[in-house]
Amino acid sequence: MNKPIFELVDQLPTGGLTVSVLKALDFVAPGEWQNTVGFVNTIKTVTGEDDESLIQQIGERAIYLYNDRSQGYQRAMWLYQTVDATDKALGAAALANKVGETIPLLGFLNSVTPKPDKAQTIDLSLKVVAELVAFCQINGIPGDSIGDFVGALGDYSGESLIRLAALVCIDGVIPLGPDFIDKALSFISTLNPQDLSQNQTFNTIQDAIPGNGTSGKLDFIGQSLDSVKGWMNGFVAQNNLTQQNVVSHLKSFVEFSDDKLDYLAAFLDLSTNYYEHTGTQTLARRLIERAVAEI
Amino acid sequence: MSFYRSRKIVAALLISVLLLTTACSPKTPGRFDQAQQESTKQKSGQAVAKTATQGSEFNKFFPKSGGGYESAFAQEKKGFAEAKLKKGGKEVALLSISDTSSTPEAAAKFSKSTKKIAGYPAVEQGKTATAVLVGKYQVKVLSKATTFTASDRADWISKFNLNGLAKLK
Repeated sequence: MNKPIFELVDQLPTGGLTVSVLKALDFVAPGEWQNTVGFVNTIKTVTGEDDESLIQQIGERAIYLYNDRSQGYQRAMWLYQTVDATDKALGAAALANKVGETIPLLGFLNSVTPKPDKAQTIDLSLKVVAELVAFCQINGIPGDSIGDFVGALGDYSGESLIRLAALVCIDGVIPLGPDFIDKALSFISTLNPQDLSQNQTFNTIQDAIPGNGTSGKLDFIGQSLDSVKGWMNGFVAQNNLTQQNVVSHLKSFVEFSDDKLDYLAAFLDLSTNYYEHTGTQTLARRLIERAVAEI
Repeated sequence: MSFYRSRKIVAALLISVLLLTTACSPKTPGRFDQAQQESTKQKSGQAVAKTATQGSEFNKFFPKSGGGYESAFAQEKKGFAEAKLKKGGKEVALLSISDTSSTPEAAAKFSKSTKKIAGYPAVEQGKTATAVLVGKYQVKVLSKATTFTASDRADWISKFNLNGLAKLK
């Protein structure tokens, strides 16, 4: 968990299922996301500088900022990693070598169980909350600034935009349909604090979620989801996102039949870590932007 | 003859041993390992000085949107505030104010400065940055688009309320 920031960025993969899925989602945000990997390479890309001594200074300042826990960057990284981490290893390891070939999903279904809508909704909601809290940690605004976050959503670009596009497509549209946000909101309104406290991801990140006790945090989750409703519905409408439309873009590398969409959602959840991947890129970018301004 | 030959073999063997041992020995430190080590000596307080000014104090000194440009705050931390500058929806520059009490070497670079912008010592860094030192504060403009030139950066630096910032303690 406490890897140096330069190692985290150096170790981002250039291929594999996560990268393939994100590239396939390019149709919702054409040209927005380049898979920038490597710490020095990211410094060069973000700053446009190639002078080695300048790169060294920027890198060192970024490392100092990241390692100072009072600055909130590590907390944001931990959130990105945690909401993505549950039950990942199995699928990722089994599939790491298969990408490049088409993956026949049908053979894989035995080891995948679709999540019930309730679990899917909680997963989606926790990712939205993690995005909000991480945004606040990285940018230095109070952790419950829903208004600032919603204002900034319209300004999301690059790896942040593709992360939300993946959230909408993989955790929203594919398992729940294009009206996923309304479905999720009505699920959340029927949820009681006990349901939430049984969720492993919630238990891990609950200290980072504003609100008193589980019921206060549940309220905050509902408010967060409600606040992104307009943006998400707009995103779905603007890109004409339907289950078939999203899935057709994934078919070049995953083979499956349309009546197994809930399995596809579970499979993608299990075998990708798009949240951590793009979260690391967002964090590195913000750190480097601050470092170059401060040196 | 055979003497030379065996010497060659010995040399080849030695080289192989050398290659093997260097491959297996602990890796040579990378360029960022030292910074990593020093910056983790304590968990917090390493990067930003205790006395640094809060980022929110800086906001009122930033240039306002106008003339086809739009500025929006991006980060606000202790000792640092940053805004994106956009034109036609595209990010063209980053505007920032930072407190150099956390980064003395950042202030030190101005001692060699021969230029001034709006009366304050100015430096250019690399291809994309222009900065001035106002008291203990650094005001920096970074180009994000190639069309945003060094003279644009100087212009935008002078649009900050530098004299106001100079009075901030």
